[in-house]
Amino acid sequence: MTDLTTVASLPRRLSPLTRPATGTARLLTTQVTMEVRRYRRIPEYFIGVVVLPIILYAMFGLGDAGEVLPLGTDVGAMMFVSIGCYGVVSEALFSFGGELATERSKGWLRRLRATPMPMWVYFAGKVALNLVFTLVSLGGMAAVAVVAGHVTFDLSRSIATITILLTGVIAFSTMGSAIAYWVRPRAVSTIVNLVFLPLSFLSGFFYPLDQLPGVFAKVAQVLPTYHFGQLAWGVMAPAQDVASFGNPPNGNTVGHLAVILGWFIGCGILTVLGYRRELDRERP
Amino acid sequence: MHAGHDQRHLCRRRSVRNVIAMNVIEATDLHKSYGVVPAVVGIDLNVAPGEIVAVLGPNGAGKTTTIEMLLGLRSPSRGAVSVFGKPPRHVDVRGRVGAMLQDTDAPESLTVTEMVELVGHYYPYALPTADVLRRADLSPHAAKRVTQLSGGQRQRLSFALAIVGDPDLLFLDEPTASLDVYARQAFWQQVEEFAGLGKTILFSTHNLPEADLAADRIVVINRGRVVHDGTPTQIKALIPAKTVTMTTDATLDELGRLEGVKSAVPVDHLETHGIPASQSCGLQRVQLQVAIAEPVLRALFAANRHIEDLTVTEASLEQAFLHLTGETLKDEPEPAPLPATTATATATATAKGQLI
Repeated sequence: MTDLTTVASLPRRLSPLTRPATGTARLLTTQVTMEVRRYRRIPEYFIGVVVLPIILYAMFGLGDAGEVLPLGTDVGAMMFVSIGCYGVVSEALFSFGGELATERSKGWLRRLRATPMPMWVYFAGKVALNLVFTLVSLGGMAAVAVVAGHVTFDLSRSIATITILLTGVIAFSTMGSAIAYWVRPRAVSTIVNLVFLPLSFLSGFFYPLDQLPGVFAKVAQVLPTYHFGQLAWGVMAPAQDVASFGNPPNGNTVGHLAVILGWFIGCGILTVLGYRRELDRERP
Repeated sequence: MHAGHDQRHLCRRRSVRNVIAMNVIEATDLHKSYGVVPAVVGIDLNVAPGEIVAVLGPNGAGKTTTIEMLLGLRSPSRGAVSVFGKPPRHVDVRGRVGAMLQDTDAPESLTVTEMVELVGHYYPYALPTADVLRRADLSPHAAKRVTQLSGGQRQRLSFALAIVGDPDLLFLDEPTASLDVYARQAFWQQVEEFAGLGKTILFSTHNLPEADLAADRIVVINRGRVVHDGTPTQIKALIPAKTVTMTTDATLDELGRLEGVKSAVPVDHLETHGIPASQSCGLQRVQLQVAIAEPVLRALFAANRHIEDLTVTEASLEQAFLHLTGETLKDEPEPAPLPATTATATATATAKGQLI
């Protein structure tokens, strides 16, 4: 007996009104559109993740805007990078950590597993959502910088920086999803904050790294966020300006990428293990 | 209806000998334990195309675990499942199966229409959104967000999401648990309409009248195994559906011998009204568990028995299952190493615990 024989004996019984699927591209765009709509409509999420970096930038990023570092970089542009990095990590951790955990605890992911949708479509939707929201957030910050702070941006450096920042959304996504799969759903937002705030402080997103006590400066060097910041500032400004800004450059691009990639892969493996565990979870 | 399926099924088996898997669902010797707690202990279940099967059992009987194994959401500890001749996780199978699961909340900020469209895109075929909304009686609520829906409407949305992929096989896990009696009736009409497209449906419930109303075939499970498998008529004959309480001069012995009487016991609650037990004049208050009340009463009247204070009520499910489990233990080898005399009492206590 082959599958063919069996399937032939159990033909599909389609409703007269049924329509065939419109393809993977259409599925993917629908998934992304719906994800964006969903979170655009949740004010606490949209404000916390998209609007808050813009507010923080308006409050703290414009203080020294217009001041110019030795090689000509506007301090306002450097602050754009700092708060942009914070925004990216926040977006990735809250979306992949908090929201994924919520969908997991509400049973929605279990429900999705019973459909033929491949899980990569679901994760791709989340990544695309984060890219869109990060772009909106960075756009808002840039508008505030230019309009309210009269900050001058080097166009090509800024485009490269924004590209790095957007890549960061993907780089930190697995850290969020690993938390979502391994932490009890109710504890996830606490854990995300516990991870996220120290990471931001230790990596120089809120105040210059050269003011950190020595121990923390050492710890910072194993954190993906530290290397992410180093990469982003390094693209926005020449090394001398980055040092003058208070974050002395340390290491090279390959080293930074290696640490970030290492964390991405490590957390990715943890996520897969967590997902597998969930596939046949034990009941309490 | 089930007999019809059986005959068709047998005919096909005879004509096409080399095809073994003619069933939509074939589950053999399914076992599932959670740690050391056995949830399902040896379920065999075949479902033919077009059948509407109810899995009836008390809470904790293993209904949800069974459905989740049939859906491929859980791996059996032992045994095998094939759906449309393939493993349930196969993408071809997923594309032909719809499911309404318990405790699955749709994302809250999307509208009903958006949810239906989104999930429709996951399947190789999809029904038009308007058609799905009509079938699930959600058309007036199409633009509402999930948060704005009532409990019953959310349940109907869950049904809509289960049918949008035009599945050949539909699983409904306790679909009416949170619905009131009118919503239940409406819901089963919707299911029936969908079944009319030639679909195969398997649902779980702990409500016998509901299983009777909606299914061609009822599989009764308790404590992780199949206790009975038959047409609603067969199952109802096994389960005492009515409780008859009356004061009569017929003896318990006589009552117990009447056809359709499952049990006859004296009721000594008469004193609660301050009336002394009337055994002196040959009358006693009794309670009977019966499949159908009318033939029993007809027989008593025909025998010229005295009957007063007669009430006939629907037997509670608790009573029904107590009865069934009692019977099972007599029919089947005892699973637990208990002394024969205490086995029934223990089983009874367990069933009671599960029902409450």
